[in-house]
Amino acid sequence: MTPSPLRPAHRGSSLAALLAFAAAVILLAIFPSFVKKPYVLHMGVMLFLAVIQGQAWNVIGGYTGQYSVGHSAFFGIGAYATMMLLEVNKIPPWWGIWAAMASAMILSLIIGSITFRLRGPYFVLASISVAEIIRLAALHFKGFTRGAEGFLLSSIPPLHLFGTEIEFFTKRSFYYVGLLLAVVTIAANWAVQHSKLGYYFQAIREDQDAAHSLGINLSFYKNVALAISAAFTAAAGGFFAMFVKFIDPNIAFGLDVSVQIVLICIVGGIGTIIGPVLGAMVLVPLSEILRNPRGLVQVGVLSADSGVVRFIETYLSNAHLLVFGILVVVVILFAPEGVLGVIRRIVGRSRRRRTAPDAAASPA
Amino acid sequence: MPMLEIQHVSKFFGGLAANADVSFSMEGGMIMGRIGPNGAGKTTLFNCITGYYPPSKGEVMFKGVRLNGLQPDQVCRLGMVRTWQKVRPLAKMTVLDNVMVGALARTSSLAKARDVAHEQLHIVRLDHKDDHLAGGLPIGERKKLEVARVLATKPELLLLDEVMGGLNPAESEEIIQLILDLKRRGLTQMVIEHDMKAIMRISDRIVVLNSGEKLTEGNPQEVANHKDVIAAYLGERVE
Repeated sequence: MTPSPLRPAHRGSSLAALLAFAAAVILLAIFPSFVKKPYVLHMGVMLFLAVIQGQAWNVIGGYTGQYSVGHSAFFGIGAYATMMLLEVNKIPPWWGIWAAMASAMILSLIIGSITFRLRGPYFVLASISVAEIIRLAALHFKGFTRGAEGFLLSSIPPLHLFGTEIEFFTKRSFYYVGLLLAVVTIAANWAVQHSKLGYYFQAIREDQDAAHSLGINLSFYKNVALAISAAFTAAAGGFFAMFVKFIDPNIAFGLDVSVQIVLICIVGGIGTIIGPVLGAMVLVPLSEILRNPRGLVQVGVLSADSGVVRFIETYLSNAHLLVFGILVVVVILFAPEGVLGVIRRIVGRSRRRRTAPDAAASPA
Repeated sequence: MPMLEIQHVSKFFGGLAANADVSFSMEGGMIMGRIGPNGAGKTTLFNCITGYYPPSKGEVMFKGVRLNGLQPDQVCRLGMVRTWQKVRPLAKMTVLDNVMVGALARTSSLAKARDVAHEQLHIVRLDHKDDHLAGGLPIGERKKLEVARVLATKPELLLLDEVMGGLNPAESEEIIQLILDLKRRGLTQMVIEHDMKAIMRISDRIVVLNSGEKLTEGNPQEVANHKDVIAAYLGERVE
């Protein structure tokens, strides 16, 4: 029997998980001192971004069971708010991102009050349409958003912190900011899971009517879940805007942003903390390699005249969404609980084999 | 003041009257049985009382508070909670977590909720299964879980919708003892049940519904001998 993600953790195992998490963070923190290749650091930043997005979506989609496919709304608001505060008002991003998160939370309450009237597939469709309306509005109101022209980042002012000056030119600085944001998001997710909120969110996911009868105010708790999710998605958006240095309505508010956020969780495993991390580890390298196979040459994995590089460039460079689509079909058919489900199945099987060698030997 | 007062409650679905002008009241501390043939409007009345849909006409008063227009979660926090005829376990959560969700209606502390949940699981004798997934329980234990979960919300009035449905005689007997035990602990209960023997044993008073209307009301003896009740269940006597 698979353990519930909310099962009161045994002290030993949660300590082990904490130690493993701390070790992973330390390893990731010293990683750039050994590997300095920009392509690898770039991949690291994209990985952290995906982890933040996935963890954020997990709160509303994974725990609360409300499959929003409109998270580009919050991602885009985060990106635009951070970018516009910097470019128009000269407010640096480490202040701007708070404003971005607050705007996303306010937006989430408006979106929630509309979409949470609906359940199941109707909620999914409503979340898509609301996000599309916002994308079209961003394209249309040129006076405010500059429309399709978008925003190009001029420069990020240096950050003075504890007497040192941090410049945001290098991939390395973004790598550390991304790592910090990912750690904060994971910690927030853990805190939600181990609180009344986590229990209520899961109860809503499992059975809304039962949850309602047990004293859970459905619309209140769904809105809380969406607001938390929106805030961290907006942080991801702001970070993304600063990193890629250019945003327009299609990049920030596009439907494919929403879809990729959901994919991170579906591929990794929905409703757990480790799931989005695994999903990011599968999807990000895949998408980066498909988009730019020359990176592998730069890192030295492949030689420049390798047939693989030529194949990807010729046939797959513009087809990464197609490859994603096929991947989703494969996951849904063969691993409906994501990579995490596959790992659990393998671990469970080998554990059973160890405890009951006779049972495993007999053809069952 | 009666604990619960149902005053002229009607519920229409289109032209169909699922409940028509039903009135009765119940005092604290008692067990009220509610019987009636299939389609008599027993569950509809539960839904009207607990806020799943507002009555089309009439009023529901609980401890002197008018419930019309309140949501189920508000009704629960006022102290009235119902179980489901078709059980609704939170399948991918453990038995203990299911009951904790109920307990969290009264506290925000997980530790306190866990204590309350353990107590309730002990009362329904399900404590040995606390780390099982709720979705994997057999029907008898699901029914018990349903009861433990609502008990954890610390209700003053418990509405039980066919908790013995689908159980074997031994399991039913356990539930009967549980209901009587809860009565001794001072809990007021309203019980919908099809098992006549069981309902006659546990009820202090019985309300009979038929085709959405109240047929009669009285103590078990009176109801069992009432000619309209016999007619509703068995048909008219052939002369």
